[in-house]
Amino acid sequence: MTIEELLKQEGKFLGPTKGVSMLPMLKEGRDTIVVYPKKERLAPYDVALYKRGEDYILHRVISVTDWGYIIRGDNCYYDEKIKEDRVIGVLGEYFKGDKHVLLTDKEYIKYSKRIVKNYPIRKFKVKIKGFIKSVIKKVFFKKRQNKTK
Amino acid sequence: MKVKSGFVVRAVGDEHIAVPVGDRAKEFHGMIKLNETAEFLWSFFKDEHTEEEGIKALTETYDVSDEEAKNGVSNFVKMMTEHGFME
Repeated sequence: MTIEELLKQEGKFLGPTKGVSMLPMLKEGRDTIVVYPKKERLAPYDVALYKRGEDYILHRVISVTDWGYIIRGDNCYYDEKIKEDRVIGVLGEYFKGDKHVLLTDKEYIKYSKRIVKNYPIRKFKVKIKGFIKSVIKKVFFKKRQNKTK
Repeated sequence: MKVKSGFVVRAVGDEHIAVPVGDRAKEFHGMIKLNETAEFLWSFFKDEHTEEEGIKALTETYDVSDEEAKNGVSNFVKMMTEHGFME
């Protein structure tokens, strides 16, 4: 049975998560998500379930547009434009290990706002890190080349 | 017999639902809705037990006849075995 069928038949879907795109909030192999069918337009900070090819993706709504949403994973550094009709569900609650987290929890709301607000800083840090790594690589590669000569 | 490892039971609203975690999630992608009796038996059979022990535990915990308990355990074990959730 597909997730769409479960959402329609059971009114919810519970299941594991896959990948690293929603770290640190959701960790593969540990956490369980509870997704409900989308009944109304989503709002910023909601976590939308949509399909990309055959894969189901669960990422956060950053902003709402006339045609759909700008969406981004908490651990991702790119935005996606997702049309309204591609969104099939919305995260309602989740289990972080055995801890049951409701999306109305104060701590969760604080986290979701912080992760969106801090995005430019995180992106900048990743760019700097990448730049330093590439410089180190170049220097190391040059030294090795000089040695072999 | 016992329930295979790699499943957890989560309470959502007034429902109990078993879902796979860890490596088990790679081979099973659905969810299993449990009624009150099934949730009790799922917890009971997390450890190795026989069907007879399940029937005894059910009659000791719930106000059910031996016959009802026997049917309950038999149906539970059948469903679990058919879906490959028991070992």
